[in-house]
Amino acid sequence: MMRLLHLVVIAALVASAAYVYKIKFDSTVRAERVARLRAEIKREHDAVAALRARWEALDNPARIQALTERHLRLKPLDANQIDELDRLPERPRPAGPPDAPDPIAAIIENDNEFPPADSSREAAQ
Amino acid sequence: MSNAQGVAGQAEGRRIQAWHRRFLQALLYGRNVDRDRKAKARLGLAVLAFSIIYLIIGARLVLYAVAPESHVARRSVNSDAVATARPDILDRNGEVLATDVLTPSLFAAPRRIIDADEASELLTAVIPDLAGTDLRERLASKRGFVWLKREISAKQQLEVHKLGVPGVGFLNETKRVYPKAAEVSHVIGHVNVDNQGIAGIEKWLDGNGLADLHRAGFASDRNQAPITLALDLRVQHAVRDELIAAREKFKAIAAAGIVTDVRTGEIVAMVSVPDYDPNNPREALDPSRINRLTTGVYEMGSTFKALTIAMGLDSGKVKLSSTFDARMPLRFGKFDIHDFHAQNRVLSVPEIFTYSSNIGAARVALTVGVEGHKAFLRKLGQLDRLRTELPESAEPIVPRRWGELNTITIAFGHGLSVAPLQSVMGVAALVNGGHLMPPTFLKRTEQEALALSQQVIKPETSLMMRYLMRLNAEKGSASRVDVKGYYVGGKTGTAEKVVNGHYSKTKLLTDFMAVMPSDRPRYLVLVMLDEPQPLPETHGFATSAWNAGPATAKIIARIAPLLGLEPRFDLPPADQQILHRAPDAVARAQ
Repeated sequence: MMRLLHLVVIAALVASAAYVYKIKFDSTVRAERVARLRAEIKREHDAVAALRARWEALDNPARIQALTERHLRLKPLDANQIDELDRLPERPRPAGPPDAPDPIAAIIENDNEFPPADSSREAAQ
Repeated sequence: MSNAQGVAGQAEGRRIQAWHRRFLQALLYGRNVDRDRKAKARLGLAVLAFSIIYLIIGARLVLYAVAPESHVARRSVNSDAVATARPDILDRNGEVLATDVLTPSLFAAPRRIIDADEASELLTAVIPDLAGTDLRERLASKRGFVWLKREISAKQQLEVHKLGVPGVGFLNETKRVYPKAAEVSHVIGHVNVDNQGIAGIEKWLDGNGLADLHRAGFASDRNQAPITLALDLRVQHAVRDELIAAREKFKAIAAAGIVTDVRTGEIVAMVSVPDYDPNNPREALDPSRINRLTTGVYEMGSTFKALTIAMGLDSGKVKLSSTFDARMPLRFGKFDIHDFHAQNRVLSVPEIFTYSSNIGAARVALTVGVEGHKAFLRKLGQLDRLRTELPESAEPIVPRRWGELNTITIAFGHGLSVAPLQSVMGVAALVNGGHLMPPTFLKRTEQEALALSQQVIKPETSLMMRYLMRLNAEKGSASRVDVKGYYVGGKTGTAEKVVNGHYSKTKLLTDFMAVMPSDRPRYLVLVMLDEPQPLPETHGFATSAWNAGPATAKIIARIAPLLGLEPRFDLPPADQQILHRAPDAVARAQ
């Protein structure tokens, strides 16, 4: 009886030791993974911060204004260009037949009074 | 046990061999003890002791399992040198004005360096800036740690790494960067190399707990809540752009401007050019780059007449219809007070304001009296140092002995020097219904501002001031600033600067105060030019209406849409649009 008990206890001891070893090993592996991920997150975080700082520098209004003046023909907004929504005129009736599947195609087909876009731009210049 | 006694009995024969054994036994067990029971008790004690030890071990294991492992987390951040992270600073729309990035810094552990000469040669080859410094001596010293160069580039880091010099390493330090560079310089301020704020909002941050956090080493986390300012970067840029243009055009020494929300006291834009790039704080040491709006004090000239007239109207001694004699210069002792746009007739209060009559303003102030004048200006915060979040502030220069002559000159803005921000605060109170609220660079709601504010003039007086400001834009000296659609009102100001103790006729300080829209004021704009020069197109004039005024008009045209002001056209003139709103109050005043 005692001998059997001893055997069982020894077996349990060996098994639990093996189990503890396994858990310990797993937890070490996981802890290392956590540390690695943390370091990676931190690196990414820093990289994001650096990129954001760079973007914000590029987004500097002084720089945008210089670029706009060089490349675009935009002008500052004038108070006359702002109006209330209520004062917008009624929306014009669509040019094509009301039940056309593709209204834009219908406009292009039906409407030849307007010159093509290119020539109108030249005319404007 | 009887066996042991037997042995003890036998041992009597061999005393010489075993006397020490008997002695030990007598010492350990005593002579008449039941050693059987004692052994059992001891066994029990041992079992108890061991189970306690194992219980403790078990409990400790459980604790280890429950508590998070701390040394792993620590390992990942130990390459960050000093915990000096600072919160981001944002403008009111969330644009980043200041942020932190990590930059590597180069250090050496001289004790571990094998050949100092070789190491210094190799390092100078990669980082030329190190040449000429005492690099070799520092490497040859026996110290444990020396900084070699703070903030090196990523490329340099790679190159030094490739050299493989033993005893040289990198630490990541947080570095403050200002992506918007000079746009916000004076508001934001800057930090020193140890990331401590030394000017502007940055210093304010340190004064509000961040410095303690740094000292305790807790500021390493990036997730500090960002600080949101009241500043609007778009408005700030527009103001700065126009001020730089105006400064160039009029060849002025300096130009400065403020846009403030009169309902909350928030400063939406504050520019003083020349300014500096906070990324290069050495520029800030140049005295010509100071913030003229808070650290400079100036005689504001005729914009002060707004305060004088408001004082007269608020005291009840002066009404809008009152008239004052401006037929000839006002003589006081050996001084003559002249008008710049002399009308040489009797002027009503609105005429004094629109013709900017020095004589009229002086007479209004004299009606109130010296003590009343002083008390009114003190109430409006013009005589005491104005403190904001910015650490920089200047004490107004108040005459030591304030007699009638002082009251006369101060009535039209000479003889009392105030910080321009201070006069903005005063004029804002004149137009917003009489609430004097301390200006702030942080966001504030209208309720908070009202709770902080002080009623300094009657609402009716404020209404009349709005009327006068608008009238001045309709048919007075501010007519060049009447930007269509925004119902602008304003007051010009031209002060002669003191040169060698005398007022100079050529060195002027011009400023312009504009309120928009005048019937329901939302924003107050101050533009100030230091020594603008007359131009052919200004017909040789260098007064405010010819330089600060038009610059203000350009600024308003640009910023009003950004500030969300709705343009309204075809509004009736000031007397109908503003005065008719409170007929009783105005009737009483007239």
